[in-house]
Amino acid sequence: MKKATSLKISISGVRGVVGESLTPQLASSFAQAFGTYIGRGAVVVGQDSRVSGTMVKKAVISGLLAVGCQPIEIGICPIPSIQIFTKETEARGGIAVTASHNPKEWNGMKFISGEGLFLNHHQVEEFLDIYHQGEFSRIGVNEYKSPKSEENPTVPHLRKLLSYLNVELIRSKKFKVAADCANGAGAVLVPEFLDALGCRKILINDVPDGSFAHHPEPLPENITGLCRTVVEQGADVGFVQDADADRLAVVNEKGDPLGEEMTLILASKHVLSKNPGAVVVNLSASQAIDDIAREFNVRVFRTKIGEINVVDQVLALEGKTAIAGEGNGGVILPDIHPCRDSFTAMGLILESMASSGKKVSELQEQVPKYHIIKDKIDGTQEEAFGIIRQLKRNYSSQEISLLDGLKIQFKDSWFHIRPSNTEPIIRLLAEARTKKQAENLLSKFKKEISEII
Amino acid sequence: MKLLKIGISGVRGIVGETITPDLVMNFACAFGTYLNSKRVLLARDTRISGPMLHSACLSALISTGCDVLDLGVCPTPILQHTVKKLRAKGAISISAGHNDIEWNALTFINQEGTYLNAFQGEEVLDIYHLGKFKKVSSEKLGRIKSVDNYLDVYFKSLKRFLDAQAIRKSGLKVVIDPCNGAGAKIIDQLSCFLNFELVPVNNEPNGYFPHDPEPRPRNAQQVASIIKVVKADVGFVLNSDVSRVSLVAEDGETLSEEYTFPLIASYYLKKKPGAVISNHSTSAMVDDVARENNCPLVKIRVGQSFSIQSLVNEAGVIAGEGSGGVAIAEFQPAFDGFLAMGMVLETMARTKKKISQIIAELPRYHRVKEKIYCPPPKVHSVVNEVQKLFPEQKIDSSDGIKIEFEEGWLHIRASATEPMIRVIAEDRSKDKAQERAEKAIDFISTLIK
Repeated sequence: MKKATSLKISISGVRGVVGESLTPQLASSFAQAFGTYIGRGAVVVGQDSRVSGTMVKKAVISGLLAVGCQPIEIGICPIPSIQIFTKETEARGGIAVTASHNPKEWNGMKFISGEGLFLNHHQVEEFLDIYHQGEFSRIGVNEYKSPKSEENPTVPHLRKLLSYLNVELIRSKKFKVAADCANGAGAVLVPEFLDALGCRKILINDVPDGSFAHHPEPLPENITGLCRTVVEQGADVGFVQDADADRLAVVNEKGDPLGEEMTLILASKHVLSKNPGAVVVNLSASQAIDDIAREFNVRVFRTKIGEINVVDQVLALEGKTAIAGEGNGGVILPDIHPCRDSFTAMGLILESMASSGKKVSELQEQVPKYHIIKDKIDGTQEEAFGIIRQLKRNYSSQEISLLDGLKIQFKDSWFHIRPSNTEPIIRLLAEARTKKQAENLLSKFKKEISEII
Repeated sequence: MKLLKIGISGVRGIVGETITPDLVMNFACAFGTYLNSKRVLLARDTRISGPMLHSACLSALISTGCDVLDLGVCPTPILQHTVKKLRAKGAISISAGHNDIEWNALTFINQEGTYLNAFQGEEVLDIYHLGKFKKVSSEKLGRIKSVDNYLDVYFKSLKRFLDAQAIRKSGLKVVIDPCNGAGAKIIDQLSCFLNFELVPVNNEPNGYFPHDPEPRPRNAQQVASIIKVVKADVGFVLNSDVSRVSLVAEDGETLSEEYTFPLIASYYLKKKPGAVISNHSTSAMVDDVARENNCPLVKIRVGQSFSIQSLVNEAGVIAGEGSGGVAIAEFQPAFDGFLAMGMVLETMARTKKKISQIIAELPRYHRVKEKIYCPPPKVHSVVNEVQKLFPEQKIDSSDGIKIEFEEGWLHIRASATEPMIRVIAEDRSKDKAQERAEKAIDFISTLIK
């Protein structure tokens, strides 16, 4: 297999390995292209907690200044807060210095429109054309700006959260909440948020220094510390965020991790019970979503993988969406802001516990049971498509979707294979009624794939 | 033709045209690679483009694993002083000194606090041209720290070096125009430490230059217009990074920047005799002052880097240039406008003379300084051609063309910082200086056409 490249430029922005592909020159060129694309004006610059954040951020600021933009530095800040701040302050756009859940040697940039949304396909294409052409705005010597900084960038986000949630009800329960911020950007808002909801809080990995005590992806194997804390402290619930605080995984009161899939499932059930409306999810979110939607008699829209694809569908439905999101713990509540938001997810789970009077393990019992296994193998996009071509032939009699990679639907199980947009790997997902069945399905396909390779 | 000047001590160009984030980062990466993950200082003047270059340098330096001590807006001589105090391995100064607002520049400084010498500079340029910069992984990236009280440390050193008591006792009133450059506000501290009454002009560090930031009579009009009104004893005009100074006398006469160096040398050599470092474009006043004090005189190529290297290597006591830059070896090997102002004040305090009297005692020469635009590829050949104009005269070609006359000289050289040819003529007779300069300019003009 070819050596994986350490730079990915995609719909989700730019990601690279610091010390290899992600250089100051690269970051500033992208910032110049972005500033040229959105035009002169204020551009919000936020970052997750990675140690390389300063290096990338300074390069971004230099690039923005060079094309006449006014950088507004907001420091370490959750991604949803950056998006909401960008919209609320009527900036021209924003750049988030983040590599989301990638390991700590990575960093990158995500590009945000004045609406507080990640650039969509068309916008990314236009913007990348400018980057590749390398013709950036030229400004007069008196038009250079000086960066400004903003001390309280999470305020608009917190205000929106608290005005949506039933704060009184949640406060009355005085929940004991254990939260693992993964040494990520979430740590700057979690304490204030939980305080506002009247929760007694136990925080771990809550210094946003990018030290990543565990891998910054909220998978069960990464959160054993949180599970232990929940049990030892007798917490009602445990929450773990990823490094940029857009995704959330939940641990029940017994210290069992629910798996990141369950976040959207529980949130959907709660939101639909209050406000039935369309559900928008990507192709690889659990079938439990379909079952719940059926229960409330609402439609499910499936999209390609990638937050922006889900958000685009939400926008296309013009306010008819009750809830949206991804199986990876990314919950999108359009009433707050059309973006993935771990704080929205936390708030919805707490509100659900409060209004139902049920424990997390009981809420878990109430939703259809599926087991999803996510796996990955090294491989380029090209290799992925070779495999997909062959599998498509092998399963031509089955119900398949080619919306994104290949999804093969069986009676109450499915298998999905697609190249990652952000890393040189191929993602494999299998869902079935039980863990055993899901494992069998996955290993059957892995065997088939190794034969194809 | 794009304007970019790359030299051993740094790079200078027009912002947005040649000075782009990429170019700045490549040079800062080359310097960081050269320093090999050591501690480096960074400072800028107040130019509006400064934050762009500053952010680019920060990102690039830490990407090579260098820790950056960021002084923010800071005059270059104070940066140079702080390099040694903090035992840093080097520094970058972001300032285009006397150039107008369209320009900006990076100047590289070594651990001695001096501009890189030829060997060091060549090495950095080799790395730049090769384009292979050191890259470190996330956990090895450099860190950025700010530094407090470096101004206090500097001014305490300066106060110790000067006869501060004499300055205080003389109760001087001083007008200073830092041109809203890096010296703005910091001159307030100079006045506190040296106990003189300050009348500031253009004292906001906002980078809006009300006139070209080049200390010379043309740019001293604001100081000259108020000096009599406020009854001040002397006026100073600074460049944007406080490496050069020109003077205004108490009667409002705007003095040529040529006087700064011989005035200070004339006073200082009596206290501490030793070798004087000058150059071919600098007034013969300095030559006369050295001779009067029986001190050896060394003439080197124009440029702070050469001047300071010579000061160090020849164990000289004072170095300077006709542009208003003065360095005293015992204080620090750098052209330092604060030191120059302090020395002028000390001279006034100790001699109890007015600045106009002190100037009157210096040998009197007349000078004509002109510059002519010349396309960069032609500059050196045009300069060489000028020799043919004066076939009879003694010619020194160690730095451009210098032609000696009985009571004067004519110097023609390519500017190190702009696409210009500089023509400087000096003579006891004003007419002769004028006539020679015109002759050279006419000749050069025909060559360029």
